[in-house]
Amino acid sequence: MNSTFWVLGAVLLVGLCPAIGQNTAAIARLPQTTREEILARAKTFANHKWTCSAKNLHASCYANYRSDWKDGQVITGIPYNWGGFDSPASFDQKIAKGMAAGSHSRYGVLSCTAGIDCSGFVSYCWGIPLKSHTYTTSNMRDIGGELKSNWFTDLQPGDALDKPGSHVVLFTGYNPDGTFNICEAAGGPARVVCHKTTWSTHKGFIPLQYKGLY
Amino acid sequence: MAQPYGLILILLIAPATSVRLQDGVATGAKQARKVPLTRTVKLPVIQLSSPNANEKQGNPAALEVWPGAEDELPEGPSGFDVFADGSFVIADPLSLRLVVYDAQGNFKRALPVGFAADSVTVTNEGMILAREANTDAVHPLDREGKPLEQAPKLSPMPEATLVRGENKGSISVGASPGLPAGTLAVRFDEKGSTMVSLQAIGTDSGLGMFVALEATVPEGGADGIDVRKMVQRYSPQGVLVAESAWIPLDYFVPPVDELRVRKGIVYQLMTTRTEVRVNEWDMNER
Repeated sequence: MNSTFWVLGAVLLVGLCPAIGQNTAAIARLPQTTREEILARAKTFANHKWTCSAKNLHASCYANYRSDWKDGQVITGIPYNWGGFDSPASFDQKIAKGMAAGSHSRYGVLSCTAGIDCSGFVSYCWGIPLKSHTYTTSNMRDIGGELKSNWFTDLQPGDALDKPGSHVVLFTGYNPDGTFNICEAAGGPARVVCHKTTWSTHKGFIPLQYKGLY
Repeated sequence: MAQPYGLILILLIAPATSVRLQDGVATGAKQARKVPLTRTVKLPVIQLSSPNANEKQGNPAALEVWPGAEDELPEGPSGFDVFADGSFVIADPLSLRLVVYDAQGNFKRALPVGFAADSVTVTNEGMILAREANTDAVHPLDREGKPLEQAPKLSPMPEATLVRGENKGSISVGASPGLPAGTLAVRFDEKGSTMVSLQAIGTDSGLGMFVALEATVPEGGADGIDVRKMVQRYSPQGVLVAESAWIPLDYFVPPVDELRVRKGIVYQLMTTRTEVRVNEWDMNER
């Protein structure tokens, strides 16, 4: 029995080591960034001004698409686009090409729309290149360490609040009344917005700190 | 919603005149009344199954909810307010309309505003201010939904300050006609629980100040952020006179307008998968 135990242990170790090594290497490869840079990126999304034209109201790949916007409307904030991971620059390029501005899950993930979703937004703010939608709310913990401190007093701007399978937001600071501020890409406002919020509307969210901070 | 400019609140302007709160009860005052949930009005919901679905056909009373998906929050009614007669106006953003129900929850009329509203405010004069979710533009409407030229300028709610770790805070109230500016002392006393936020949610002529408190859950245990929430009512003299029971927080669609106050009643909007609930706590004196 003893020998079986050691053999199994050895097999387990051999099996796990590469995985541990890969994870450590993945963290080491994460882009390094500062909290100031994270907040600055968030602002570029929330403050991005763009004008919707008639060609951005229709999605060429989905007939029953209904736009959130109107022709000629000047909007502040990159549109919410479920499954999307556009930077402000790539969003502008796609809008200029006539792609539709933003989308919701009810239309599915569309290749003919432009914008960003919640996990794409937080990933981008943390400095992750948006070449593909690598991180979702379910694997954000691969790049964000869970915070064990007092969440009501010890979060820092640039941390995230993540509810796996649901939503993730960027924490930007506490208010004197104990509430807090966030930036998020969400379907309700249909774009990236920064606003005050309460703890009660974020029950079940888990605070995370980006692992590539320096 | 009760408006701050309607404030008739006698404020505490100097330590000599302030009411000191001890153990949640003002010195010399009677115990704050605990107010259980008074009633719940339930409004019908249609949960959409596809963007083309027309499940609502024939039922204008039904509000629309989209259940969301992996990495997407549900969408649906997140804004509401209460008219002076107790009837409700609820934002139905997926249908680009507002819907008015009487105080019992019976459908009265739909206001096809043509935009997705995420927040609604009813002024003391009965005007509706609907905020367009994707632009933040505020649209003034009459009770029938007809656009109005000008929106009244509403004063913001008084600012609150939490004294972290001490279960107390204060609310600074600007001067209102005939009254000086001052500070209301807010206190929360429950063993094993810490107040983590406080917000003024309404002032009502003659009824004083309504304050929403969030507090930690004793012993915790739940994964992630977990809090409890209640509303306290302070008299115009700054005395804590009533406290709601802990309010339910199992939101399906996160509210923008979570709580409203009208005529001493606290209203909560709670959109679930199957219905929209308007929970009420009557904080008036008995």
